[in-house]
Amino acid sequence: MNQASDNRGRVTLRGIRKSFGSFEALKGVDLDIEAVEFFALLGPSGSGKTTTLRVLAGLETPDEGVMTLDDADVTYAQPGERDVAMVFQNYALYPHMTLEANIGFPLKMDGVPKDQIPGLVREAAAKVKIDHLLHRRPGQLSGGQQQRCALARAIVRQPRLFLLDEPLSNLDAQLRLETRVELKKLQRSLDVTTVYVTHDQEEAMTIADRMAVFLDGNIAQVGTPEEVFNTPRNVDVAAFIGSPPMNILKGHLDGTKVSIGDYAFNLPAAVARSPGEVVVGIRPSHIAIAQEGLPASLYLSENLGESMLLNFDVGDQLVKVRLPEVCRFADNETVRLKFDPGHVHLFDPQSGTRID
Amino acid sequence: MQLPPKVGIGRQRSGLFTGERGFALLMVSPGLLVLILTTTFPLAYLIWSSFQNINLAMPFLDGFAGLDNYRNMMSDGRYWHAQQLTAIYTISSVFLQIAIGLGLALLVMQIPAGQWLFRIMAILPIVLAPVVVGLFWRTLMLAPEFGIVDFIVRVLGFGSVNWLGSPTPALISVIIIHTWQWTPFAFLVLLASLASLPPDIYEAARIDKANAFQRFIHITLPLIRPAIIIVVIMRSMIALSAFAAIFAATGGGPGTASEILNLYAYKTSFVELNFGYGSALAVSLLIITLGVSGILFHLRTAKRN
Repeated sequence: MNQASDNRGRVTLRGIRKSFGSFEALKGVDLDIEAVEFFALLGPSGSGKTTTLRVLAGLETPDEGVMTLDDADVTYAQPGERDVAMVFQNYALYPHMTLEANIGFPLKMDGVPKDQIPGLVREAAAKVKIDHLLHRRPGQLSGGQQQRCALARAIVRQPRLFLLDEPLSNLDAQLRLETRVELKKLQRSLDVTTVYVTHDQEEAMTIADRMAVFLDGNIAQVGTPEEVFNTPRNVDVAAFIGSPPMNILKGHLDGTKVSIGDYAFNLPAAVARSPGEVVVGIRPSHIAIAQEGLPASLYLSENLGESMLLNFDVGDQLVKVRLPEVCRFADNETVRLKFDPGHVHLFDPQSGTRID
Repeated sequence: MQLPPKVGIGRQRSGLFTGERGFALLMVSPGLLVLILTTTFPLAYLIWSSFQNINLAMPFLDGFAGLDNYRNMMSDGRYWHAQQLTAIYTISSVFLQIAIGLGLALLVMQIPAGQWLFRIMAILPIVLAPVVVGLFWRTLMLAPEFGIVDFIVRVLGFGSVNWLGSPTPALISVIIIHTWQWTPFAFLVLLASLASLPPDIYEAARIDKANAFQRFIHITLPLIRPAIIIVVIMRSMIALSAFAAIFAATGGGPGTASEILNLYAYKTSFVELNFGYGSALAVSLLIITLGVSGILFHLRTAKRN
């Protein structure tokens, strides 16, 4: 099973462009994926993440650019020549075959001797715990079981590259959480480079070793989940990552002093930038309610069970605050919000890039 | 707790002709009556007359015949010949329709735009009356010296062929005529079936290293099987009882070279005026048609489970 550990499955994309009619899906994507890495492609719908995955699979040919797989140019190689496996969003199981035939299909097409196929199929099915369902057809299975069958079909061949297109999006919330954990365990045990497309940033944060954030056909940032979460490279990434995402406010910077309207606070360290307008970003959990601070009136409070999510009107803008304990507020109650200066992010108002 | 007494509006609507059901039956009854008069009654009359001697050439023998007509059929060489021709005609024309129709549908599926043009073109032969099709092939296409097909064959250096006037070419010709008219039907049904197949399983198969031929054998064929079987059932039932196009093109000739069972029954009844024996022939065709379609339907449901 450990064929993959000898550094198989390194991928590079250079300047990949792809248009569908007048719609430019990818506008020059550069990406390096290391061997045995669990890599997530994260972005809202239409951002180009699925197109990138399909380019990796060979299902789409890029208009421009080069893709290499283990240093070999595979830009125009057919899917079958790349030794990749893919789990589709709606599983794409062969409806007329039993699970056994479904999982064994890639082996049969690969010319694996007939007497070896049942054993390999059973082994793959056991890994995803569906070996008791092998005689059934996809139509007789639940969504979760179909999803496992699609996984088994993908891992049975021990591919160089394992591609997952939003594999959990058709599962219910409970099953999604369970499968997420199992998927991560499975990837570790298989030692195979895995590329995972999702629009759910919590999924990407928890499961991936590294991730690329796609916005509007470009990669906005590549890094570990911590890097992307803690130091978003621009205001768009900042506004996309986090649940709920970062609050973005207009402010003014002068040395270490940041002011938002009449409210001002000092940063722990000076920023090398001449005084002027900035964009201030702060996560909902880094705002507290205090005696002094930014005046705000409560718009709506949401009880999340173990925490509170409060929506405040600040000027003409909504600011979200997450409080660690449940407490009661009256609607339209006026409070003061205090920002944690150590967790304030500053961005250039013109370019949107991060100011450090 | 006491239940309320069982009186309600529903209680009053128990009679056959009262309430909604009765009204519905009343509305359907004229149509039902016409249907019984035009289908059920002639069918019953056909079966009845197949047990009678009704021969306008020898009216003095008329009367109850029992199973005589059927017994005569068993020793009638012309009947078995007609059976054989019916089998050849049905199997080969249905096979050709499916093979050509599927091939065309697969080709048209590759066309990115303008499939509608082929769909419209495909409807044209279907809407022609079979008699028109038979006549048009006999005159424009196959007529020796003047027909287009004969012209092409002569240009290719094979010489003129008497297409409808010599035994084997006549049978081949009527099979081609039937195939020409009804391949578009198979094409349309199979095209619709192909168009409804989910594209992502083909992508999955490509990733699973299946080449185009393997994708056709392992994915396409099994998935459009239900459509193929439906076409086979519908076309077999029609081919078994084909009549007008052959009648117009060859009249079953030369001799009995293209005389399928339906034509034999027609000629016996309306040319030789032996209605009793003609009815028995027609009943035998009915039994064969029902039997064949029964077997095909059974195959269809058996495989599905």
